[in-house]
Amino acid sequence: MPDITSVINTLDERQPYIALKQAKKSSELACDNTSIAGSMSQRACVYSGARVALNPVTDAVHLVHGPIGCASYTWDIRGSLSSDKETFRTSFSTDMKELDVVFGGEKKLSKSIDEIVGLYSPPVVFVYSTCIVGIIGDDLEAICKEATQRVGIPVIPVKSEGFRGTKSDGYKAACNALMQIIGTKEPKITSEYRINIFGDYNVAGDVWLVKPLFEKMGIQVITSMTGDATVDTISKSHGAQLNLVQCSGSMTYLAKWMKKEYGIPFKKVSYFGIEDIAIALRTTAEFFGSEEMIRIAEEIIEMETERIMPEIQAIKSKLQGKTAAIYMGGAAKALTLIKGFRELGMEVVIIGTQTGKRDDYKQISYQVKDGTVIVDDANPLELADLLVKQKADLMVAGVKERFLAYKLGVAFCDFNHDRVIEFEGYDGFLNFARELDTSINSPVWRYVGSKLAATSSAAGTGQCNKRSAEHGSDNDRITVERSNMHEMNNITLQESMT
Amino acid sequence: MTERNYTTVNPCIMCQPIGSVMAFKGMEDSMVLLHGSQGCSTYMRLHLAHHFREPVDIGSSSLSEKGAVYGGSENLKKGLKNIIIRYDPKVIGVSTTCLAETIGDDINRIINEFREEEDIGDERIIIPVPTPSYEESHNSGYIKAVEAIVRTFTMDNSRKEIFNNRLNVILSENISPEDTRELKHIFGTIVGQNSFILLPDISETFDAPMTGDLHKIPPGGTTHADIADMKNSAASIGLGITNDNKAINYLERTFDVPSQDLPLPIGLEYTDKVLNALSCISGADIPEEFQKERGRLIDAMVDSHKYVYATKVAIYGDPNNVLGMLSLALENGMHPILVVASSKSPRFAEHAMERVKQVKPDCDVTILEDVDFDSFNDAVRKAKPQIMIGNSNGKYIAKEMNIPLIRFGFPIHDRVGAQRILTLGYKGAMRMLDRITNTILEVQDSELAAKWSEPESYIPLVEGNFRSAEA
Repeated sequence: MPDITSVINTLDERQPYIALKQAKKSSELACDNTSIAGSMSQRACVYSGARVALNPVTDAVHLVHGPIGCASYTWDIRGSLSSDKETFRTSFSTDMKELDVVFGGEKKLSKSIDEIVGLYSPPVVFVYSTCIVGIIGDDLEAICKEATQRVGIPVIPVKSEGFRGTKSDGYKAACNALMQIIGTKEPKITSEYRINIFGDYNVAGDVWLVKPLFEKMGIQVITSMTGDATVDTISKSHGAQLNLVQCSGSMTYLAKWMKKEYGIPFKKVSYFGIEDIAIALRTTAEFFGSEEMIRIAEEIIEMETERIMPEIQAIKSKLQGKTAAIYMGGAAKALTLIKGFRELGMEVVIIGTQTGKRDDYKQISYQVKDGTVIVDDANPLELADLLVKQKADLMVAGVKERFLAYKLGVAFCDFNHDRVIEFEGYDGFLNFARELDTSINSPVWRYVGSKLAATSSAAGTGQCNKRSAEHGSDNDRITVERSNMHEMNNITLQESMT
Repeated sequence: MTERNYTTVNPCIMCQPIGSVMAFKGMEDSMVLLHGSQGCSTYMRLHLAHHFREPVDIGSSSLSEKGAVYGGSENLKKGLKNIIIRYDPKVIGVSTTCLAETIGDDINRIINEFREEEDIGDERIIIPVPTPSYEESHNSGYIKAVEAIVRTFTMDNSRKEIFNNRLNVILSENISPEDTRELKHIFGTIVGQNSFILLPDISETFDAPMTGDLHKIPPGGTTHADIADMKNSAASIGLGITNDNKAINYLERTFDVPSQDLPLPIGLEYTDKVLNALSCISGADIPEEFQKERGRLIDAMVDSHKYVYATKVAIYGDPNNVLGMLSLALENGMHPILVVASSKSPRFAEHAMERVKQVKPDCDVTILEDVDFDSFNDAVRKAKPQIMIGNSNGKYIAKEMNIPLIRFGFPIHDRVGAQRILTLGYKGAMRMLDRITNTILEVQDSELAAKWSEPESYIPLVEGNFRSAEA
């Protein structure tokens, strides 16, 4: 268990959230609380949780009921790809103004729903509530209910008032919205083995590298939630016999509900890294108990591993012994990354999440070596101090952390909405390895912290300037400039960071 | 999609608080704290980090349900306290969000209580700015924060102390760090390095050199002494003419500092206007450097004129930036068929029309403001521009309609170098004109390449028929 000591200097109130893993001592990391005012948390709000979990549903209209900012900052930020409709990439907002705040936004919202349904004919409208809606008391549920009757498609409220909890509560709000659709259509069954992929957002097309693996095993993948999901596939997802949950922070809630409601069991898996992909495929095959499927799964694992191994080994030799810092939104990704780094010969020295729970940190603690710092809801100053103290060579996180790492001369890998290459599946892991290699082994780092200075002899005597001042004639000046040129060759880069 | 009355589809504007953040980040040793829920600050940090590619720290009072119900006083005080402990800034800007405004928190009172309770000395300055997100846009948030900064720093001694013989230069719209550097160079060269005070100044704070160290608060920005000295200045120039420059008006009203509003110096004529005004105010001649630069710009304009002439261009973004780009397009003979300002402003349309009438009165131009990208999309389909000039959010339209997009303004999150885009001054005009011309040439190149197959009517002279012709 981790030990809470003053690992770094921070607010006293923050100290319980930062711990050093040590074998013998035991105390628990504080987590799962609201952020401390002024602590500069990297977390967003309830609305953001709902938005990231639900927004990838490709053919739905995602209507934000609130002032314009909430829609502005979340317009197409998810990085999810679609194999069909692109409606989800359009930003819809009721753009509440002062009058709407004073007199209530219900009328505007109703009219907005009618207008949008008329123009876009979506299969469903998700209506997200923002902070202000919770305060002025617009009855979202009633409006959506009425609208559903009126427009003839489901209009579903997503209760995501920003201040009402944390990002995790937003995930729940998203799951609650999905529950309204699940089971509303009967699936066309094409295989006796059927699964849903949960907690995969198809960032950069991740799902497209995973789904074929299951299909090769003779499994019908009814939907992937919510990456590349359509309202149609979600509505039929109750036809599966197993739910595979990847991003557990966002989707376990829904998986539990499906177990209760439809008796569909779920298993937590990851499609990242050679070991975890193999586990995911084996777990699934074993669940169905088909000899044939188990054989195919083993075949895939063997062939695919063999296929990517030569390049993985080559990259590993260049990454061996480097240190990594992980700061993720959810714990599932952080956990699977530990293994991924190990497979590439790298060691994790910092690991943290925005929304990890007690059990998540326990698991993380088992997985990491002594001396690793574990942190919950970190802020930029803490992360910066930790990167320096723990001597991280690379950080894997999201955009807000990217430039912080860069400024400290730490290589960076984006494992968030912003990436444009797949990291899941076998080819995805290869991409990940290449990305680490690209960043860690780039020559640019040698210049960070360097300063331009003349060699000590020239700088000490100030020769360069003096001589040119002393010599008058044109000939002399040329000579002096030449000698300056010579000195310039000796200019060194003084590296303050090594 | 046409004819919408109730829904905004793909917004052109952001909310007021982000504008206030950009202003606060342009002054020395300052932090901003948003009084609202945690998400606001995080989203704005993301948005700004994407654009400037710098770490951006924005505090939050992290209002929770309890705070929303019983008032956010406790959270705001705690937020301020923690910011002071961790960042120790001399100045903290406190901007409100829709949540704080709607629950009716009196931030002035809360801040005063905080000062007393925590025994905060006079050396620490806290500047409250009400910026409810349901009012106006990021552009107004910027103007309001700049005014609040100036008001706060000039509050003591309401009379002029010493006439400092300096010139205030106050922006009413965000410009890039590179543009800020160019402005400083122009003003410094003409009126003297220490003879002008530019606010806000994001040249260093949003484009910090890599040193290997991470500063809690990036160095740079307008100094506090300078801002405090603004009331003693000889004159003020407001850069931006579409909106009221509240800070400039305040200085004029309260301290009799005479002021003049000038356009952002984009393109030849607007730059001339600003340089002339500078020369007039300071009594200095236009330095040879700028005469040469101006000459080079005209040379560039002549070099490019045939390529760009009558090219139909759509310009969109924040009003003053768009107005400047409109001016540049017109004076180069382009046809600005569609001119769109993100937010509503009192004088954008008027100035835009005036500029069109001055340069190309017969030109048919559609001027829009306060529209969303969906309406802009409709307008683009109708106007069929050949190039688009504006921020990254127009990329969907540009891509769908296969129109080259020249990126400028805010936000630019899908290309590098937003912080280094230069549009101001003669130099900026040259850069923009080169970019525009080269974009047109690229298109011509690819169109020509498609044409470079021989016409069907052409019968090549092969060896055989050559000989027979000879025979």
